Amino acid sequence: MAVALRQPGWYRGALGALLGAAFGFGLVVALRAISGLDIFQTEQTGYPHVVVPLITTPFGFLFGFGAFDYWFRWAAGKPTIPDDHANHGATRWQDYFKFNTDHKVIGIQYVVTTLIFFLIGGALALLIRAELAQPGTQVVDPNVYNGLFSTHAVVMIFLFIIPMFAGLANYVLPLMIGAPDMAFPRLNALSFWMLPIAGIIFLSSFLAPGGAFDAGWTGYAPLSTGAPLGQSFFNIGVQFAGASSIATALNFLVTIITMRAPGMNLWRMPLLVWANLATSLLVVGATPFVAGAQFMVLFDRVLGMNFFQFLEGGDVLSYQHIFWFYSHPAVYIMILPGFGIVSEIISTHARKPVFGYRLMALALIGIVVLSYSVWAHHMFVAGMFDWLRVPIMITTLLIAVPTGIKIFSWLGTLFYGKIHTYSTAMLFSLGFIVTFTVGGISGVMLGMVPLDIHVSDTYFIVAHIHFVLFGGSVFTIFAGIYHWFPKMTGRMYDEKLGRVHFWGTMVGTWGTFIPQHWIGLDGMPRRVADYANIYGDWNLVISVFAFILGFVQLVFFYNMIVSWRFGPKAGNNPWRANSIEWQVSSPPPVFNFDEIPRVVGGPYEFGTPGARHAIMGGEDEPELPGPKPTKVAEPA
Amino acid sequence: MESASIAVGQGAAADHHDHHGPPEFHRSARIDQTVLGILLFILSEIMLFAAFFAAYFFLRVVVSPDTWPPAGIELPVLIAGINTVVLVSSSFTIHYALEAIKHNNHPGLKLGLGLTWLLGATFLFIQINEYIHIGFTPRDGAFGSIFFSLTGLHGAHVFVGLLLLTFANIRAWRGHFGPEQKNHLGVEVPGIYWHFVDIMWIVVFVTIYII
Repeated sequence: MAVALRQPGWYRGALGALLGAAFGFGLVVALRAISGLDIFQTEQTGYPHVVVPLITTPFGFLFGFGAFDYWFRWAAGKPTIPDDHANHGATRWQDYFKFNTDHKVIGIQYVVTTLIFFLIGGALALLIRAELAQPGTQVVDPNVYNGLFSTHAVVMIFLFIIPMFAGLANYVLPLMIGAPDMAFPRLNALSFWMLPIAGIIFLSSFLAPGGAFDAGWTGYAPLSTGAPLGQSFFNIGVQFAGASSIATALNFLVTIITMRAPGMNLWRMPLLVWANLATSLLVVGATPFVAGAQFMVLFDRVLGMNFFQFLEGGDVLSYQHIFWFYSHPAVYIMILPGFGIVSEIISTHARKPVFGYRLMALALIGIVVLSYSVWAHHMFVAGMFDWLRVPIMITTLLIAVPTGIKIFSWLGTLFYGKIHTYSTAMLFSLGFIVTFTVGGISGVMLGMVPLDIHVSDTYFIVAHIHFVLFGGSVFTIFAGIYHWFPKMTGRMYDEKLGRVHFWGTMVGTWGTFIPQHWIGLDGMPRRVADYANIYGDWNLVISVFAFILGFVQLVFFYNMIVSWRFGPKAGNNPWRANSIEWQVSSPPPVFNFDEIPRVVGGPYEFGTPGARHAIMGGEDEPELPGPKPTKVAEPA
Repeated sequence: MESASIAVGQGAAADHHDHHGPPEFHRSARIDQTVLGILLFILSEIMLFAAFFAAYFFLRVVVSPDTWPPAGIELPVLIAGINTVVLVSSSFTIHYALEAIKHNNHPGLKLGLGLTWLLGATFLFIQINEYIHIGFTPRDGAFGSIFFSLTGLHGAHVFVGLLLLTFANIRAWRGHFGPEQKNHLGVEVPGIYWHFVDIMWIVVFVTIYII
């Protein structure tokens, strides 16, 4: 036992968590004693005795778990073990429960963890739909309902969509650019382990007195500054999730900039790499704003500050400005990696080069730039400056241009292609184009001030967000999982079950969210547990489809679990794709390559006889027209 | 071994052939990975400060354009000005330390790092004293909140910078750094962070105390 407590791992992690909690609690008591306050009196919403340990406990766990061991040794000037790769790779299932620094292990850790959160978030959604199936109160009381929809949104956004894309990219991106691992493997592992911590904090808010945080995922002040204790769980959980995604984004950027294989210039990068480059720029630039906003709310709640207290000279509306300056770019953080995934899949299964490859890449960058200038379209009815409305409306409509370029380029790729739909990944990609376009068009409608004023806070908004986030992001997530499942596990999934999953999801999505547009235009308010009787019939229909949508996901989970164990062997390249990750074994060996591949052409040269994207180590140089890749000198 | 371990994340497998380490990756950019990493981290730090500056200007320009700072509050500009001089001079000492190690001047490195650490600690000490004697608290209106948040956020960054400098000092006294870039990243990277903390203080100082 004593030995187990000295080694990094779960025992030492549990001890660290206990010590962290004790430290946080003691800190509050000590500071209150020094400043002459009652030691145990808790303010109405402050609860510093809970909030501070909530911050220190995760750090204690991470210290104990071994997240900082290397850095501590380094900082103290002790010898470090740079080449001890004991924490690299996975040979047993237990290796997935360690502080593992292998990008492929971390990728799978991400995907599995976020899928568990997807199940939890989905169960919360079904509870919401059960309550809304009939007017009146059936399943949960209105207070619990507020907690349900808030937690549903937070779990889906911060713990499923954003980290799922980080996980998929974690697995395939270093392979795609011919790198042995990410640039900072330890930071990568630390980013992953902050994610379940954030999840536990969010979900444990249900146990807090006064119930889970119920101010919506937006947590608007001053609703949030006066809310019960659960709101502080939201404020702190967002810090951990945000720090996790900033660290991952930084890691992606450094990896993409410094670790590409010889010959892979910017215009030979697969679009998934471009998409993650763009997304990471957004995360690094925008996520600190949500951290700032939540810090301010936390300061108001716990330290009694007055950022959002009007009577004390605070500015209520500044919360919304600061929050949306992150959270509008965040919707692009939640869709750009999906654009990358779909580009890969459509090109591969239509056996054609991506139409307008350079414009596709530039459109991503265009979206990044524009997305910083559209935040206030969430605030048209909030009472903000009048002069800001029209400029924001124009930039919002402008952002449809690069998005439209992408949609037309996918259609151009499909046009006269040899479209194979045997793969569920391709079905989801095609489904994505249709569903996302509908969601995008309702987004253009919402960008216009008059219509937005009419439908603000109605189910039209709910329908729009779910069409772009479920029909958009989640469809691309499914596509990505199906596409790279053979690479990650070395086994094929069952395409028949995949088709059942796809058509069930498609019908469920449209059946659930299309009628919400109509009742939204009729004025049904969102975020309320009850509604007028005239909306009853449509809500019953919506709930039925929502349950179909929910239960058809079980087919997906069954398919994934059983195929991972019993599926037929997949081979290296089941989709006959060009990019580098398909040229190595499935699953790829530790450190991916014995010899770094050389890139000799674009990633989508389908249909050109003899064209190659990359030459793997040990192969002869093929005779190719055009300039030879220049050999770059090894660093000394 | 020691020098190899300093270069974090460099794939420093060169002198260890007994492990099957990662193959040397191809360097597609000349910039060092750790330096690029800290620059991107600073970018996100700037955005965190920007969030608080946004709050500051909303409070000052939108809500209370006529009563800023509120009546009866006098900021100690002189003391803060002296503190600014202290912090800015520490930027020069850390630059001196970096230049010293580039020329393999170990006593100069120790002198520069030690001076920087002392100047940083002096800054924090003066700031805490200023907090104690300033005459208002974070709970006194929106002005108190944003004053303590912005200067406190910056103070937290000085504290983190001091931690990094402590590590650099320890390693300098153990004789760990050398003139090649990969051997003095442990000075260069905290140095970049320290310059950022300095420049950010000038912005905070000008915004809160001067204009």
